[in-house]
Amino acid sequence: MKKFITLFAMATLSTVLLASCSSKDEVVKEDKIASDEKVKDKDENKDKEKTLKVAMVTDSGTIDDKSFNQGTWEGIKKYEADHNIETQYLKPEGETTQHYMSAIHNLVDSGYEMIITPGYKFEEAIYEAQEIYPDIKFTIIDGNPHAGDYVPDIAENTSSIFYSEHEAGFYAGIVSALESNTRSLAFIGGMEMPAVQKFGWGFTAGAAYANEVYGTAAKVTDYIYEGSYDNVAGGKTLAASLYDSGVDIIFTAAGGVGVGVIDEGKTRRASGNDIWVVGVDIDQFEDGKYNNEDSVILTSAVKELGNSAYDSIDSVINGTFEGGKSLIFDSKNNGVGLSSSDEYLSEKTKEAYEVAFEKVTNGTIVVPSSVYELEAFLEDHGYTTPSGVEY
Amino acid sequence: MSEDSIKRISPLISIILGLLLGYLLLLLVGYDGNSGFKYLFQGGIKGITEGKYRRIGDTLAQMTPLMLTGASVAFAFRTGLFNIGASGQMLFGGFVAVLVGITVDLPPVILPLVATLLAGVAGGLYGFLPGYLKAKYNIHEVVIGIMMNYVSVYLVQYLVKILIPGKYVIESAHIPKEASLKMSFISNIFRGSPLNAGFFVGVIALIVIYVILEKTTFGFELKAVGFNKDAAKYSGMKVNKNIIYSMMISGCLAGLAGATFYIGYTNHIKLGTVPTLGFDGIAVSLLGKNSPIGIFFSSFLFGYLKNGGSFMASSTDIPRELVDIVIAIIIYFSAISFVIEKFLNKLLVKMKKEGK
Repeated sequence: MKKFITLFAMATLSTVLLASCSSKDEVVKEDKIASDEKVKDKDENKDKEKTLKVAMVTDSGTIDDKSFNQGTWEGIKKYEADHNIETQYLKPEGETTQHYMSAIHNLVDSGYEMIITPGYKFEEAIYEAQEIYPDIKFTIIDGNPHAGDYVPDIAENTSSIFYSEHEAGFYAGIVSALESNTRSLAFIGGMEMPAVQKFGWGFTAGAAYANEVYGTAAKVTDYIYEGSYDNVAGGKTLAASLYDSGVDIIFTAAGGVGVGVIDEGKTRRASGNDIWVVGVDIDQFEDGKYNNEDSVILTSAVKELGNSAYDSIDSVINGTFEGGKSLIFDSKNNGVGLSSSDEYLSEKTKEAYEVAFEKVTNGTIVVPSSVYELEAFLEDHGYTTPSGVEY
Repeated sequence: MSEDSIKRISPLISIILGLLLGYLLLLLVGYDGNSGFKYLFQGGIKGITEGKYRRIGDTLAQMTPLMLTGASVAFAFRTGLFNIGASGQMLFGGFVAVLVGITVDLPPVILPLVATLLAGVAGGLYGFLPGYLKAKYNIHEVVIGIMMNYVSVYLVQYLVKILIPGKYVIESAHIPKEASLKMSFISNIFRGSPLNAGFFVGVIALIVIYVILEKTTFGFELKAVGFNKDAAKYSGMKVNKNIIYSMMISGCLAGLAGATFYIGYTNHIKLGTVPTLGFDGIAVSLLGKNSPIGIFFSSFLFGYLKNGGSFMASSTDIPRELVDIVIAIIIYFSAISFVIEKFLNKLLVKMKKEGK
């Protein structure tokens, strides 16, 4: 009997401990993700509007991953703060199409009418789901639904969202060329996939453009695909050898490899080296902090995931949802650009960015989005590719 | 109340206790326990009365590999062995199934069956080594089992990369539809659910091990080794041979679990991780009291909770992490049902004494 009492006491105690832990987690989460919505209170027109139940399925990683998941979710939360919708996110049990499918099934069973999924991994799941649930609206970011054969098949109730990464890369290239002291830049990509390649092509074009217009004489001397998105140590080593060879700004579009590059950058910058990293996808300023104030991130080439989620929800509510096709987010609709953390940029650089953004938006400059276009662009701008660099 | 009936009801009591504590936890943290549990219960079967069998299909699909890993662990337990390597055997078996599915050309229906059988054989071979080392050198099977899990992860990663690389580095190539255990006659009834022929593989395997353990001399010998190795040896049984056989059969069951998961539930292998289903199998087997019938029901409970838990997370504002904790508590209590059993037995003895 005594033993049992002890056991029971332990069980109760551990329950309380667990409970306090998780409640703390909860508070942190609320603070982090929904801080902006707390400020807003229910205004009148909120009740008049149509309600919609919007849900998101997370990709690998958590909702506060400082990347795809968080970016998308913040857009959804922002819409919730402005309008009358119900939101929810669900983390799948695993990372296969089947796991994604059961997350979608669960959300539909719970009454959600619109489902947003960030990342190419959802392509096959959305392909299945769009057929099973013709009344549900789906939005997939950075991917096209397909049946496992990579032939896009977008149903009327689905819209897929892509970004003009080359334009974001272009701005990053201009800024880097203007801010570089050694005139030697580098690009590190993850795998050779369109979303990554376009960043690199744009980056090179940006440097060429800056050279012609502002006489910066910068070159992208190293152009590397690491081959993965998770080799943190590899990114660190690569960055170290690049900085040693005289590169002072590295633009990385490579997930975890980029984390390694930022790590190496932090160490060097903390010890007084004048080097920079250009971040990708979202504003990576915070990730690049090596003390309380200073970051190694010069700027970030961002895709406005939140904006596209916001607009997508808005289109469903207003009945203007464009299903059956891919939507492109570029400079024209503020889908890509540089991050708002611009304290390290000189006035001249900021102005150059604004001018270039204007020119791209009104079509004066067409940023190359393929190797052929890039080669033509470089020739037009009198840029000779350094030996050993292949795009 | 007899000791026998205590043995029967103690798992039920522990499940109820687990549910209660999970419910209390939700209240403690400040969530609506009633709606949470409503969705937890609904989630496993919702729609069954309206002729929509998807959710129950989901539950059965979640249950399928657990039935087999549970059986795998239980079979080893019955012989006095602790097969903690079920995860590794499952992954290796699953790899063979995927490999066969992609590379071998056979007519549909036959192909997935051949792949499944070969997965069982592969799992059995993978279980041979821990069994052999245990029998020959008396090296503890838990140590080897854990190490073999790592070996399995990296071996499969290597083999996938050279034999069946996928489009992305983190996964294998996908099997063609004809190689999948998802067969149309099941999918048509349970529309939209991943339920597949693996479920029948699991049920048949449970029946087979029931027959082996309860109706054959071989099974009797295995159990005898489990009860008392020395006595078994003294009565002329080949203890070492039986240990190896037992580990191989256990591995075979885990390999089958791999087939039902990798060519049934999903269609490719994610690299770099060991499937946790092998470890869940330990809890399934404990709750099922190591008996095939018990495992059938306990794996059903696990599948139900997994499926219901997801529904609870999607229908309420209870965060996924908390849902997982609640389910872990329920499972935790279920798995320690022997404590409840002991307690009830003591109570029984006491009551009898007082009665006298």
